[in-house]
Amino acid sequence: MSSEHIIKSYDEELRRLNNAITEMGGLAESQLATAIEAVVERDSELAARVVEGDARVDQLQHDVDNLAVRLLALRQPMARDLREIFAAIKIASDLERICDYAANVAKRSIVLDQQPPAQPVHALPRMARLAQLLVKDVIDAYVERDADKAYAVWIRDEELDEMYASLFRVLLTYMMEDPRNIGPSTHLLFMAKNIERIGDHATNIAEDLYYLVHGRPLAEKRPKGDTSSLDVIAPGQAQG
Amino acid sequence: MSLSPLATQPTVSATMAPHSAAAARPKVEIRHLDFYYGANHALKDISLLLQDKSVTAFIGPSGCGKSTLLRVLNRIYELYPGQRATGEVLVDGENILAPGLDLNLLRAKIGMVFQKPTPFPMSIRDNIAFGIRLYEKLPQSELDDRIEQALRRAALWDEVKDKLKQSGLSLSGGQQQRLCIARAIAVRPEILLLDEPASALDPISTQRIEELIDELKPDFCIAIVTHNMQQAARCSNYTAFMYLGELVEFDETETIFTHPKERRTEDYITGRFG
Amino acid sequence: MGIYARRRLTNLLVMGLSIAATGFGLVWLILVLWTLLSEGVSALSPALFSQMTPPPGSSGGLLNAIFGSVVITLIATAIGTPTGVLAGTFLAEYSRRSRFGEVVRFINDILLSAPSIIVGLFVYVILVVPMGHFSAWAGAVALAIIVIPVVVRTTEDMLNLVPNALREAACALGAPRWRVIVTVCYRAAVQGMLTGVILAVARIAGETAPLLFTALNNQFWSTDLNAPMANLPVVIFQFAMSPYSDWQALAWGGALLITIAVLCLNIGARLLASWSTFKP
Repeated sequence: MSSEHIIKSYDEELRRLNNAITEMGGLAESQLATAIEAVVERDSELAARVVEGDARVDQLQHDVDNLAVRLLALRQPMARDLREIFAAIKIASDLERICDYAANVAKRSIVLDQQPPAQPVHALPRMARLAQLLVKDVIDAYVERDADKAYAVWIRDEELDEMYASLFRVLLTYMMEDPRNIGPSTHLLFMAKNIERIGDHATNIAEDLYYLVHGRPLAEKRPKGDTSSLDVIAPGQAQG
Repeated sequence: MSLSPLATQPTVSATMAPHSAAAARPKVEIRHLDFYYGANHALKDISLLLQDKSVTAFIGPSGCGKSTLLRVLNRIYELYPGQRATGEVLVDGENILAPGLDLNLLRAKIGMVFQKPTPFPMSIRDNIAFGIRLYEKLPQSELDDRIEQALRRAALWDEVKDKLKQSGLSLSGGQQQRLCIARAIAVRPEILLLDEPASALDPISTQRIEELIDELKPDFCIAIVTHNMQQAARCSNYTAFMYLGELVEFDETETIFTHPKERRTEDYITGRFG
Repeated sequence: MGIYARRRLTNLLVMGLSIAATGFGLVWLILVLWTLLSEGVSALSPALFSQMTPPPGSSGGLLNAIFGSVVITLIATAIGTPTGVLAGTFLAEYSRRSRFGEVVRFINDILLSAPSIIVGLFVYVILVVPMGHFSAWAGAVALAIIVIPVVVRTTEDMLNLVPNALREAACALGAPRWRVIVTVCYRAAVQGMLTGVILAVARIAGETAPLLFTALNNQFWSTDLNAPMANLPVVIFQFAMSPYSDWQALAWGGALLITIAVLCLNIGARLLASWSTFKP
């Protein structure tokens, strides 16, 4: 029993789909990495390059959609093939969003570069590096079709959520201490939110991968570490 | 006698019907069926259930035994010497493989439609009346009603109502097959066996037959053998995948075609069979 | 010469030879028919059909012979057809692969080509001698023995042509075996079977040898089946060998009559075969 289709062109088309996703994944990783570097180095040119690079990812997502629809119409895929194609559509969408968020982070860093370094300096890059790790791991899991690796990513997002929650509190504190901080802190807040969303999309990819491999969805409720929506801070209360 | 066959299924690779089906008593229960063409062991230890008011499809490559299995259900294999079956096949709890069973009565209860349309060399009317007249004595008007009913259900009435006296052979292929289906359901069987009913027909006729199967589903227990996987996917509630005389996997159709449990099943339905 | 030219030449050569062979065969057939027609047409007259076979020297007809032939043929058909059909049905439906069936088929094939004079001799021994006299019954039995193998063969062949799917379809409705055979198989094969019967009748219409030992001949009008009965083949035999010209003329007339009858039967059989309502 071989694992190749009797019709070779079918395998060829599935490979093209796989390659498109892998390329998008690679781009997502590099976009995010470059955006973080732009933030840390306060390099506006680098940031601009990230923003430009987003167009390629959008193009790739369209390619994936078209190829997937073509496969659905012409090949009548079943079972695993069907799940592959279905997952490919969703993962492409998630990867495109990740790249969008990376581009957003880059865009805001350009604004921040016009001003003196905002506080706190290191929290955001730390978050971003964790997000980068999650994205890398989930892409690796996809390439290897490893559902266990995907599950590990799925769980670790909680850590990212917690980092976001604590950064949220810190930034609120800064903003309440000094109104001049509101501008940069708000930008930082949005950037942090974007990175936290990157983590969420990585978990989406993990869930899609799990379904692809096992044929049933990840049933558990994902542990959420982001309590920021429930936090209330009164003036004068400093934490962190 | 246990009413839950799930509890007694030990086979490693075959999977049984899902739990939702175990609630209702199955119409047909096949237990450890073996079939031989002379010395050739064609069916190996088959056990599965057919639920009432639903369609069960049998898929598999050529020579896997799906037609053979169907032909065991109405014991039509008895027409040929050297073919025999061992094991149990329970229809409504009664073993139809028991010796001494009246085969003709059994076959009146279980209807069969074959791959090639087989209209009798008689008028359309007589074709349908043939089966009815075998076991029932009906006055002319009632007979006419039954014939009309059967033809309506088979979606053939409008096309033939003006030419009932014409020979059944004067119809087109798709019409002939619908005539055979009408003939089979006219005797009000409880179970319908369809052996690749649409494989000799064009796509439009095929779709009409599939629609017909959908309409008949609420009233019959239907078993259909098909080469065409998409047809099995479209028509059936349950699907059984067979290979080389063995039952590899049996489950709800949606499960078989979205996430089958057996590697062999997945290889077959995705077109990976080497 | 090129390969295509050579092939064309070969083609023409072989075709020429085939046409010549056909022509050769046809020539004799036409000669026979022409002779029959030219010699026999002079004897065709109303008298042929209204008067009895005369003593030599006087005029007459062939009425008693015609009557006798018709009666004997009809009885032979009546005996032979049901027997043949049932036997053929047995072979086709109940013993397609059995040893016994093979044996029966073999014996039937032998009988099919048995010399008719042996059949006549056989019936002479079993019927004529015990009865003590020739009779139309014996003649009919002899002819029936010739009819049976033909009908068995054609019935079996025609029934074998009925597709198994049709039988299975009827069985699947719950019809008992005999019902399947009578209502479905016979109906499907009826044309072929009828053709077989007609051909068998055409065969016995002209058989002389069996009748020589069984029905013999009768100069006078007789409807007694227990007595020798006049019949065309034996009359032709007798009259043709005689030195009397009016007898010879009558013999030609009789021969023409038989030929026309056989021709009509054969044409009828062919028409029946081509009038197809059953397409296998």
